[in-house]
Amino acid sequence: MNDTAISDALAEASAGRRPVTLRGGGVFSGMHRRVIDADEIDLRSRRAILEYEPRDLTIGVECGLTGAHMEQTLREHRQFLPLDAPDASQASVGGILAAAWSGPRRHRYGRPRDLLIGSSFALADGTLARAGGMVVKNVAGYDLSRLFVGSMGTLAVLLRANFKTLPLPDSARMFLAALPAGTRERAFAQIRNLRPEPAAAWWSTGFEREVDGEPGDDGRIAILLECENALLERATLDWRAALGRAGIPETRLLDAGAHASFTRLLDAPMRLPGVHALSYRSPSLPSHALALADSLAEVVDRFEMQRDLLVDIMNGDVTLRAVGDAASFTQMAGMLDDALHDRAPRARILAGGGEGHDRLDCFGLLPNALAQMRALKARFDPHGILNPGIAFFDGRHS
Amino acid sequence: MKIARDLAEPLIARGSGTGLCGGAAPLRAGIVLSFARMNQLLELDIENRRARVAPGLVNLQLSERIASTGYFYAPDPASQRASTIGGNIGTNAGGPHCLAYGTTVNHVLALEIVDDRGECFTTAVEDLGYDLTALLVGSEGTLGIVTSAWVRLLRIPSTTGVWLAAFPSIESASEAVSAIVGAGIVPTALEMMDATIVRAVESAYAAGYPADAAAVLLVESSGEPEEVASADAAIARIARAHGATKWQAATSADQREALWRGRKGAAGAVGRIAPNYYTQDVCVPRTRLPEMLAAVDDAARKHGIVVGNVFHAGDGNLHPLLLYDKRDARQVAAVIEIGNLVLARAVELGGTISGEHGVGIEKRNGMSMVYRTEDLAAMACVRDVFDPQALLNPEKIFPSGISCREMRT
Repeated sequence: MNDTAISDALAEASAGRRPVTLRGGGVFSGMHRRVIDADEIDLRSRRAILEYEPRDLTIGVECGLTGAHMEQTLREHRQFLPLDAPDASQASVGGILAAAWSGPRRHRYGRPRDLLIGSSFALADGTLARAGGMVVKNVAGYDLSRLFVGSMGTLAVLLRANFKTLPLPDSARMFLAALPAGTRERAFAQIRNLRPEPAAAWWSTGFEREVDGEPGDDGRIAILLECENALLERATLDWRAALGRAGIPETRLLDAGAHASFTRLLDAPMRLPGVHALSYRSPSLPSHALALADSLAEVVDRFEMQRDLLVDIMNGDVTLRAVGDAASFTQMAGMLDDALHDRAPRARILAGGGEGHDRLDCFGLLPNALAQMRALKARFDPHGILNPGIAFFDGRHS
Repeated sequence: MKIARDLAEPLIARGSGTGLCGGAAPLRAGIVLSFARMNQLLELDIENRRARVAPGLVNLQLSERIASTGYFYAPDPASQRASTIGGNIGTNAGGPHCLAYGTTVNHVLALEIVDDRGECFTTAVEDLGYDLTALLVGSEGTLGIVTSAWVRLLRIPSTTGVWLAAFPSIESASEAVSAIVGAGIVPTALEMMDATIVRAVESAYAAGYPADAAAVLLVESSGEPEEVASADAAIARIARAHGATKWQAATSADQREALWRGRKGAAGAVGRIAPNYYTQDVCVPRTRLPEMLAAVDDAARKHGIVVGNVFHAGDGNLHPLLLYDKRDARQVAAVIEIGNLVLARAVELGGTISGEHGVGIEKRNGMSMVYRTEDLAAMACVRDVFDPQALLNPEKIFPSGISCREMRT
């Protein structure tokens, strides 16, 4: 569908008070409730690169473009955009923005929203509008492009997104290490103070199939170094020395496999080993992340489920995957959900939950500015046609 | 805010009043709310690399007060010795180092806001739902009043190099800028000054700029020593390939400071060569810099006005300083005309009418050059949701006649 067709479809839906739902790659569909009885606007064919001038370090794309396609295009010009989306061959730019997805490299390069410089969009009544542009600094008017980030398609249909791109680092090297008993806290402290700073760093336990490296008594770490060639070997020596001070005697390095290893880590939170599983992500301050991870592990153990944990050392995100058995999962999921939210009120579901998904608390603690969000929703979509009931914006969920 | 609402009077939040577009100037009766004494560093959380500040805290004071921790606050508008973080949030201020670090919006983690009814609410980048933090940053006090902010702190880089390159023409300097960025090199700062500015700065500060240069590039690169060394080599090579007649490294902290003092004091220095100046602020795609500079020069020449260019070249963000004497009505009219031509040309080249100064009063009519009525109406709807009585800094940003009603809904 082109812009005009989408505009017409929305205008018609708005006039007829018919709900519509937006179809992208579906990667983030577990992060919100399902929309039922709505006409579908399929955005997956909108994959064009509309404007790309590598010398300007900017790109404008249709929002159905996948993260993988974006990466491939930019890589040809030795540039990149740290979207860090899971399942990047399916995840669309529009989906990444609508879900406000942000990955482990955000502390170094910014979130996707930080690199977003403009957009065009269709409002619920079919009006086509735009905000921002193709320049890297722009303070002319309100930043509507970023307002739509996290909107889950409830405020407008994002048609085009413009980003500033970044030069691709010369080298990427993944450091993998098993943590001997009693080294975890020291490892965290050393990793947070590494120079150069890691592009990404995780601690994990479980996720045996998804995450590279051998498990140790205190779990394992994966740290991504992205830097210039001239720095690579000196940084490697310094990092190994720092990890040695934390009591980690051995570190395995991946060069050719660094990118694939990084991708597996990005994908891990969305990979579920069946329908009787749930994964959550909770934001946290980096200084509190380990304690939160331990606390969530204790909850899952109480329910006698299998658990996997992934902690983003630089940003503080805690990702938890809980896997139950077929006989009891449906009955236990609700109680587990309540117990996890007692410990991590801001945890939100990433994937899973099976048929009972919509009965769980997908979102955790709602934002303090809920009234302002609902007022915006009411103004931009007065008939509530855009993705109705998907989230809390239209007041259908408390 | 409650008093303003009871009296139905506008309320204009004001930091240090350093804004260049009249954003904090009241147009009619009302209340000006000064944050000058609400200037505390409220919380410092180095472990999590963040600080909570009151809006009246002066930008540079934050970095100065935390320097011993090894961290700094990155946004550094030229006004940073005087401007407040609240004011910077209002305009989404940039500065020379936003080339590498981004503008204010990239460094605000959470906000506490007082709304048009005098009630408090908070937003955070980590919040679920619409990104209200980003919406509020740059809204020039028209959607709410910031009463505190969590901001991101960065680690002070282990090494910083500053270099100066002299060029025989402004065209060769701007082509060098395009080539540097096009080669995938993003220094921490990449600033350009033309001959008019170089002479004014040298006369005022003796910063060490070559007075015979037609254009000077000030380049800063930060990071690990190897990264800084490789930036030095690569940028020097490109500069020389584009005709640079000089490539000089600052070899001490004092020399670095002197080079930057010249750049940051450039606007003040032009007071030596003209009684008044008018600063424009436009941003264009970086590859269009040479065309934009030519347009500025052409417009100034035609109107017999001297122009000095000092700007964030790496971002494509120009600041032509139009030098004039306000006692001469012809010059005043010419400067206004040139300003409008600069805005129009920037938009033609795919750019925008404000890169970092904001819209305020000055550029609200220019908004129609960049945006269509539908685009502006969508913004007006946001305004209407947050402040339906238009009490918060009214008559700013929007051109007259634009309202939410333009939307079909």
